[in-house]
Amino acid sequence: MENRLVQDELSALRASAELRAVTDSIQDYAIVLLDPQGTVLTWNTGARKIEGYTAEEILGQGFERLYTAEDRTAGRPGTLLTEALRTGRAQDQGWRVRKDGSRFWADEVISAVRGANGAVEGYARVTRDLTRKERTLLSVASVMDYAIFMLDPEGIVTSWNVGAERAKGYRADEAIGRSFSIFYTPEDQAAGRPLHLLRRARDEGRVEDEGWRVRKDGSRFWADVVISRVNDGDGNLVGFTKVTRDQTERRREQEQLRQAEERLRLMIESVQDYAIFMLDREGRVATWNRGAQHIKGYSAQEIVGQHFSRFYPPEEISAGKPERELEVASSKGRFEEEGWRIRKDGSRFWANVVLSATRNRDGVLIGFTKITRDLSELKRAAEEVAERARQQSVASDLGLYALQTAQLAQVIERSMQTVRETLQIDDVRILRAGESAPPGARTVRIHAPEPDAEYGFLAASASRPLTPNDIRFLQAVANVLAVAIARSQSEEQLRLAEREAVEERGRSDRIQEALLERDEFISVAAHELRTPLTALQLKLQGLESSGGLPHPKGERLGAAVRQTARLARLIDRLLDVSRIAQGRVEMATEIFDLAVLVRQVAEDYREPAAQARSALELQVPEKVEGSWDRLRIEQVLVNLLSNAVKYGEGKPITVKLEEVGDVVRLCIADHGIGIAPDDVDRIFGRFQRAAPIRNYGGMGLGLYITRHIVEAHRGTISVASKLGEGSTFVVELPRLSRQAVAGRDPVSRAHA
Amino acid sequence: MTRPGCGRTVLIVEDDADTRLALAEVLQDVNYRPLHAANGAAALQELRAATTAPCVILLDVMMPIMDGKSFRTEQQKDPALSEIPVVVLSAHADLDSAAEQMQAAGFLRKPVELSALLATVAQFCAQE
Repeated sequence: MENRLVQDELSALRASAELRAVTDSIQDYAIVLLDPQGTVLTWNTGARKIEGYTAEEILGQGFERLYTAEDRTAGRPGTLLTEALRTGRAQDQGWRVRKDGSRFWADEVISAVRGANGAVEGYARVTRDLTRKERTLLSVASVMDYAIFMLDPEGIVTSWNVGAERAKGYRADEAIGRSFSIFYTPEDQAAGRPLHLLRRARDEGRVEDEGWRVRKDGSRFWADVVISRVNDGDGNLVGFTKVTRDQTERRREQEQLRQAEERLRLMIESVQDYAIFMLDREGRVATWNRGAQHIKGYSAQEIVGQHFSRFYPPEEISAGKPERELEVASSKGRFEEEGWRIRKDGSRFWANVVLSATRNRDGVLIGFTKITRDLSELKRAAEEVAERARQQSVASDLGLYALQTAQLAQVIERSMQTVRETLQIDDVRILRAGESAPPGARTVRIHAPEPDAEYGFLAASASRPLTPNDIRFLQAVANVLAVAIARSQSEEQLRLAEREAVEERGRSDRIQEALLERDEFISVAAHELRTPLTALQLKLQGLESSGGLPHPKGERLGAAVRQTARLARLIDRLLDVSRIAQGRVEMATEIFDLAVLVRQVAEDYREPAAQARSALELQVPEKVEGSWDRLRIEQVLVNLLSNAVKYGEGKPITVKLEEVGDVVRLCIADHGIGIAPDDVDRIFGRFQRAAPIRNYGGMGLGLYITRHIVEAHRGTISVASKLGEGSTFVVELPRLSRQAVAGRDPVSRAHA
Repeated sequence: MTRPGCGRTVLIVEDDADTRLALAEVLQDVNYRPLHAANGAAALQELRAATTAPCVILLDVMMPIMDGKSFRTEQQKDPALSEIPVVVLSAHADLDSAAEQMQAAGFLRKPVELSALLATVAQFCAQE
């Protein structure tokens, strides 16, 4: 029993000495023993390396100084110790402070160290500098733990810590005294791996291994193992320390990473649209994907190992462009550009290229990743769009020119020039409707609104094939031409219409002139006729009044006097017409009884009517008073009655006068030859007559004068007539055609 | 109307010789003493040479050398002649307004009715 106690103490002493030796030798971990208050009791090589303090500087000091000011203020160090005390261990990741004040990212495990009686004797603090690890690995690190235990020179477990128990599932009493080979897989055991590693640790001082280990329950875990030789003061082998870290998680992540990489590799290989490949540091092709083969034409076998400069045009190679790109990618991490690249068959393509430097975890350049995309299609599409925009702009300019240019020939000239310059083609021409196009020419129709045989098609010939864009442009030009042609057509019509209008105006001017000349002639003629008539009439009247001429000379003189009187009346009518034509009719109104006047004039015509075998019937009221120009109204009655007698020969004639309100209506009806409908409108014009002149004499002035007299009285005259059945003239006169004081008002021009 | 001492003298100013003679004949038939002038200028001469001023001047409007209007203007300028009344004789369509313009004592439209002529002339001359 005592012996056993001695054994235990000895063992514990040895263990503490061995532990110190072990921990001292470890460089990658700061392994520090703290007393229950946190005072530093031991300081190993790793601690010196990682934390920067020498053992002399730190021993006896509180471990708090290894933490940041913030952590200290927050009481973090104490918290960690308390947690370790309570649960056996405390794990933490965070910033720690070196002696020089610099910080490092630490993975730290503090384990409570208990004595044989279970009382806490202190704490083991193991710290690892993770600063250089990537953040993603930090999460891996966070689940890490360390099994730290000792082996004797034969590999028998001589000490055991909480981490070891956690990692391997054995309690201290289960593990101590057994060979460490129990932690290895049967395969490794069969291969003698445990002893092999131990031998190497013995011979080399230190061995690192990574591999599967087996827990107590038989499950495996991936372990990162460091076995270090432990010497006594004389350099004799006393055993080994073994720090085992469960890397299962990391292993799993690495496996996932590897699978992800594999998937990525497969994906990259299968990508067709992008050439994705790697170059080594010198720029030689290291990997090749399907897209690269597709775009550049080389197979992987052909190109791997070749320098990537062969993808560049010769002038760029001689200018040193490929090397420069590698330099930029190397210094800036990335290089991107668009430019021409060469395919295996020598053809060029427009490429978007991204060249990225690829570095390993330590930042060492291991090569470049190159992603190349063939932009030829995109570039072509962009160029096509630009070309189309340019053509549209040219077509618009042409349209504008056509709008501003009246001359079709000029528009055509400009159109041809525009097509030649814009499409860079050899020949463009306008074809007539039936004309066949030159061989090889493309044609577009000129859609003129009015089909025009002169302008059927626009035909363009070019040595190069014309693109759909070119055809669209041709059509646009043809449309401009169509509009210009339509415009010239309508302008032509307008010119014709204008010319006709001018001619019409000229004609009507000449008519006007002729009418004026005729009026002038009538005026002069009437005047000239009167002068000799004056002498003749005076002489005849002088002869007649002197009496004394015997029959039949006296009768002849009477006839001569009547004829000169008739001549004088005719000349008066001519003068009337002349006055009407020149707008010089003057009215002298007076109040008189129209019924009396109608009866008087009718009485004068009773004799001529009887000679024409026409009964003259009067329907005239007793009295119809009004204000009119007596002489001119008499003229109206005479004109209408003489016409009725002249054209109504042998048929009764009716003269009817009636009052209708403020209007007096006079109807003179015959049943003679009548007037054809076509003639009705013109009988009131000058020198117009419905009847053939050989049968009926007269100058055709009567109704013209009559109309103007009626209108001068603000009255109306109309005729209802049927060929062969006679005519009825209806005159309506306002009872008071003038104010009572009405005198000599000029009448509106007869032409109006 | 009748100016004393004119008797039955009438001056006929008419360029058409037939008309002038016809007028003179019918006036002579009823014992007027007609004087003749073929135009305005001749009429002025006749008037200034005449021993007896006429009772009335029958004045045509349209005449060569000096027309009726010019004659009338000259006549009115000459105090010895300006009192002699003038009857305008014309075939002109707007005779009435022309007569008014010329401040004539009356007008006769050609062709002249004998009765109208005699009645008009009688107004200015002494009765037989």
